[in-house]
Amino acid sequence: MITEKMRAAAKELLEKGEVETVIGWEKGTFWYNSTPAFISKPEQADRLVFDEFCANNLAKYLLDYRNADGKIAVFVKGCDARAVNRLLQDNQVKREKVYLIGIPCPGMKEAPKTGAAQDTASLPLLAKCQSCATPNPVIYDQLLGDPVPAREVPNRFAGVEALEAKGADEKYERWGKLFSECIRCYACRNVCPACNCRECAFDANGLNWLGKQNNLQENQMFNITRAMHVAGRCIECGECERVCPMGLPLMDINRKIIKDLNELFGSYDAGLNLEDRPPLGHYKLDDPEKFM
Amino acid sequence: MSLNTEALPKSQEVTASPEAAPQPWEPRIVGFACNWCTYAGADLAGLSRLQYPPSIRLIRVPCSGRVNPQFVIRAFQRGADGVLVAGCHPGDCHYSTGNYFTRRRFLLMQRLLEYMGMDPRRFQARWISGSEGPKFQQVVTQMTEDIKALGPNRKMRDVE
Repeated sequence: MITEKMRAAAKELLEKGEVETVIGWEKGTFWYNSTPAFISKPEQADRLVFDEFCANNLAKYLLDYRNADGKIAVFVKGCDARAVNRLLQDNQVKREKVYLIGIPCPGMKEAPKTGAAQDTASLPLLAKCQSCATPNPVIYDQLLGDPVPAREVPNRFAGVEALEAKGADEKYERWGKLFSECIRCYACRNVCPACNCRECAFDANGLNWLGKQNNLQENQMFNITRAMHVAGRCIECGECERVCPMGLPLMDINRKIIKDLNELFGSYDAGLNLEDRPPLGHYKLDDPEKFM
Repeated sequence: MSLNTEALPKSQEVTASPEAAPQPWEPRIVGFACNWCTYAGADLAGLSRLQYPPSIRLIRVPCSGRVNPQFVIRAFQRGADGVLVAGCHPGDCHYSTGNYFTRRRFLLMQRLLEYMGMDPRRFQARWISGSEGPKFQQVVTQMTEDIKALGPNRKMRDVE
């Protein structure tokens, strides 16, 4: 059982004083909630769990410990490990300040529609896990359990291609309808491991990039800017879409950008390899020249 | 970044062609011109008495790499019918590499805006050097014609 191994690993690290805090998951209010847990004493380690509902990407919490004295241990699934790579690449955290405990991820399940207890095996996989190509952590100090076989992934750009084929007005209307639902809670930004600016453009009052009204135009400004800001750095963890209270298909925008970047500047998967540089962070002399 | 929004045409149909428009309509194009090349090119066009449509409003920026995607969206929000980002030819950037980043960024953004339903002809980038007055004239004329054919922009716009 991964849970027992997790607890043992966390306990050992904390008892030896190798790390200051361990970030993992614990059971939340309901049986289908597993929420992030922050463990700093060995006796608390028994709170940790790993089950079908540990969907939260824990890497982002490392930013809260940027100024910690000691090391921080964090449990990483495949997508979380890519997020850690993202933060390392952005120089947001130092590799020697984090201890990564990898967990091969069988895929997370959707919370049931009703709270009644039921067999978790019958629940569908989360949308973000259905198209996941990296269930195994790509970076870790210690791996719990055996790597899981890579899942068969459908063409992740199929949705984008279908949308691209539509007419301009139809596309505008579709996005307009979706963006007017956006309540600008910024959950997508807060959860995103690529959104790690110390001061976000949307929080900077003086700049007035974004008004206070909640109307279509401001929402468009927010959503397009958010997409452009994470362009080339999105690791496709799908957290933005999962946490969106309005259920907006944000990955359709992120995937469109990833698809274009791959077509224009060569194939690139953010967070897979620390050595690969994000496509908008460098250039080549022979980049496609459409503008002249 | 504030554009004069008072003199904008009122309640025109998106589909209105220039002939059918109730009053002669001129597009408004916001041009972000790099200080070192395009701005000088525009200056040369003026000095050489080259005629080009008065539809473009130039905003001088230190480098085409200074142009933030938000500038473009804000221009459309505040009533621009088209946006042009213009800078030095690749290899000629005053800051060595700025326009190479511009090239990547706006190629991507143009495709994203198209995906969101904007016509890509409304958002263009061009390389115009300080000695290319005639090219500046030709780019502005061409873009004005394209946008006249498309009609006023109603998308992403928050002013009437």
